[in-house]
Amino acid sequence: MNVMNYKTLAEKLVSTALKMGADAAEIFISAGRDLSVNILNKEIETIEESDSAGVGVRVIAGGALGFSYSNSLDMKALEDTVAMAIRYARLTTPDENNILPVLAGETPVEGLYDPETETVTLEKKIAMALELEKLAMSDSRITKSSGSSYGESIQEIIIASSTGTARSYKVSACSLGVSVVAEKGDQKKTGDEYCSRRFFSDLDSPDKIASKASQKAWQMLDSRMVKTQKASVIFDPEVAPSLLRGIIAALNGERVLQGASFLAHSMGMQFASPLLSITDDGTRARSLGAAPFDDEGVATQKRVLVDKGVVSGFIYNTIAARRAGTVSTGNASRNGYTSLPGIGTHHLSLTPGTNTRAEIIAATEKGLLLNGVTGYGIDAVSGNFSGGASGFWIDKGEIMFPVEGLTIAGSADAILNGIDMMGSDIDMNRSFASPTFRVMEMQIGGR
Amino acid sequence: MKLQHFSVQDIPRRRFLELTMKGSLAVAATPALLSQLTSCRSATAGATVLDTDRDLISKVIRKALEKGGDFSEVYIENRISREIVMEESKFRSGLYGISQGAGVRVISGNKTGYAYTDEVTEEKLLRAAEVAAFVATKGTPVKAVGLKTVDYKSFITVEMPLGEIADDQRIEVIKRADQAAMSYDPRIRMALVDYYDEIRGRVIANSEGLYLRDELPLLFFIVQVMSADGKARHMARERLSMHSGFEMFSKVTPEEVAGNAAREAIAMLAAEEAPAGIMDVVMQNGWGGVLVHEAIGHPLEADNIAKGIGAFTGKLGQKVASECFTMVDDGSLPGHRGTTNYDDEGTPGQRNVLIENGILKGYMTDILSARQLDMKRTGNGRRENFRYIPIPRMTNTFIDQGKDDPAEILSSTKKGIYVQSLSGGSVNPVTGVFNFTCREAYLIENGKKARPIRGATLIGSCMDVISNIDAVGNDLAFGPGICGKGQNAEVDAGQPTVRIRGINVGGSKA
Repeated sequence: MNVMNYKTLAEKLVSTALKMGADAAEIFISAGRDLSVNILNKEIETIEESDSAGVGVRVIAGGALGFSYSNSLDMKALEDTVAMAIRYARLTTPDENNILPVLAGETPVEGLYDPETETVTLEKKIAMALELEKLAMSDSRITKSSGSSYGESIQEIIIASSTGTARSYKVSACSLGVSVVAEKGDQKKTGDEYCSRRFFSDLDSPDKIASKASQKAWQMLDSRMVKTQKASVIFDPEVAPSLLRGIIAALNGERVLQGASFLAHSMGMQFASPLLSITDDGTRARSLGAAPFDDEGVATQKRVLVDKGVVSGFIYNTIAARRAGTVSTGNASRNGYTSLPGIGTHHLSLTPGTNTRAEIIAATEKGLLLNGVTGYGIDAVSGNFSGGASGFWIDKGEIMFPVEGLTIAGSADAILNGIDMMGSDIDMNRSFASPTFRVMEMQIGGR
Repeated sequence: MKLQHFSVQDIPRRRFLELTMKGSLAVAATPALLSQLTSCRSATAGATVLDTDRDLISKVIRKALEKGGDFSEVYIENRISREIVMEESKFRSGLYGISQGAGVRVISGNKTGYAYTDEVTEEKLLRAAEVAAFVATKGTPVKAVGLKTVDYKSFITVEMPLGEIADDQRIEVIKRADQAAMSYDPRIRMALVDYYDEIRGRVIANSEGLYLRDELPLLFFIVQVMSADGKARHMARERLSMHSGFEMFSKVTPEEVAGNAAREAIAMLAAEEAPAGIMDVVMQNGWGGVLVHEAIGHPLEADNIAKGIGAFTGKLGQKVASECFTMVDDGSLPGHRGTTNYDDEGTPGQRNVLIENGILKGYMTDILSARQLDMKRTGNGRRENFRYIPIPRMTNTFIDQGKDDPAEILSSTKKGIYVQSLSGGSVNPVTGVFNFTCREAYLIENGKKARPIRGATLIGSCMDVISNIDAVGNDLAFGPGICGKGQNAEVDAGQPTVRIRGINVGGSKA
């Protein structure tokens, strides 16, 4: 089925729902094609390919909300699916905030779809992944491969609703990555590096990905542990999101309404260092988080969520916004056609500071340059943070040796207000782009 | 793409990251409306994709081997799911889903080709067979054996089939849980109750002549409770899940589930900063078994062993743990969340002893890794759904019953951390380095459970942790969870009360 047919189908199902007794109805269709190739030890390990499409039905009947989905596009099955959504609406509690957004206006976004992704041959994609594994294994410290991979996805998103005109867009995405093992005696260290882009030609070169992956593995050989102590912690751009994602979860408008956020009462208040500013952008060209409208059809925006340490915006979908007495911020987010719209972000970035990474390291008397964090990040409900940590130990402004098996912890309040240096080294291609930054002091657990 | 994260969670990620959506302000659904609802059979009546003609399936299996290859398989699935969510004492959403499709797989040497389709038609299946056959480029193909229906023993019993349960019965258990949580204590501010059930129909047919067809019922009931007292806030949770009919709720009541969550929510309001550094840890029986699920279970899955990169590669028959430590993966435990009768390649579930009294006894295999390692199939080839290739996965994984009295384990521990429940964690299966987050934990002072402490991370390496377990209780229990390895699998993790000497605890206090 092509996109016009999907649009027609979606509109038809909207009217079917209204005929069956829904007061308002929305049809969300995603249809696409996926390909993935995994290489292991110079051979193809797996090739997977698929076409798939599915329909999500959201209805409001008597003020109550029902939802159903099906990936059978048979007309009889789809009519049953619509009927089930209406039936399930009767199970839920009527609520005056249950409304569908009016479908009007889209944000023009450049670079959502790359035709080249579909024209490059499968053989070339396989060759690229083979080349990547070979390059990553070329360093003598690297002993084994965990495999390299190429993946791509082409998707059409279609939304039709009883409250406006049907709309659609088409997106592409591709990725290239590798994972390797470095060994020395009994020691084993792993390193991996993946690059994901909307455009095939924007992918990092196999050379660059390979050297990053192998460096991540060998640089951790001969790592040590340090004593339990308080010291500075420098967050590498790669691990910054694992700390900061908790802030984003705490800015979720629904959590705020429920009181399940440590920032619930912080609108307009200083909760973090003035060096911390965070922007969510659904409009950035060629960005994986960008789209002309969110997952319920509301035009996307670019918004500052945290401004110099002050909470400046919560994020909402239509229903949560109405409950809060405001309007949607274009942050409705679904897990494909199988879920109701929740709340999510597009492309997040920190505002860079003025210090180079080298300056931050040189200014650190004693501390941890953190390049690995495990755990759940800042807890959005309590603001508590605790994680496993690895990286390099810094003494008198110099990198001394790799460290592993440590823990770091603190409260959001202490950590976020403790940010005292913000780097200038931002790579906007990351989905949560952050420069290197330093937290003046954190509790480190070790020997 | 193949970003293999090995993780385990006690509730679905999407519920973990955001508390969904939707408004409030209204009355509860009226009984008059609810009584009109009956079962949900109507939408699924008649023939389904599971009724796909066997001759057609045979044709696809043969087509997949046309270009070469050692093995081909057709997997057809039909899943009907229902989810009802109550938040802030209101029914926020009702979801009904149909998901169906088929996957065709070809194995040729170490290579796997896979293609799947949502539409189970002759044209689409043959096209999928052609795509999957891309990897098979040389050699004489094996000849597919004619399909023969196999009848295995079932480990799942159903008294009240989910397909015959009226929606108002589902509504009722949710309401009961919500009321039990909200009436527990005035400091309970909110409850989130998530009811999910599904019926997964499977057809598995392969070039070895196997033909299997069954339906698996699954229930997952999650109660989250938030407490607040003006100073602190805590989100607690309790889960209940089985492959079972609706009678699950008469074995464990919604009130018990909600009561456990509410108890945790109130207890943790008094939590203090956790200490940092290496200390002894006593883990209460039950879901704490996720620690060995991650730390030991994943590294014992045979795919990484076959690649020669797993932490336990080449250690079969060697002593890897202390003598009091025996670890088992058992896909035949009746009705458990990790029990699926046979795995998604058609190998029956069984009790697999992985480590016995400290000696490494076996790995968990699927068809491919069993061939690569020349080992037997253990019934661990599982897939999230038809969109995924089956890979070695755990089922119900646990530290086996020991001899120690749980009370004595605690009283003989002078100082340390008592972990009552964990949220989840992850492991690097190559290095064996793991991490876990405590949800409910206490300081141990002079052999007694003392003050509660805030969610701390526990980290360590798998080899150290199993050597440092020095006490294993006689109170084995289980808990349900979701295991992630590029795709999800429903699992149980279990253990008796155990003590681990020397784990690094990520507290904020020196």
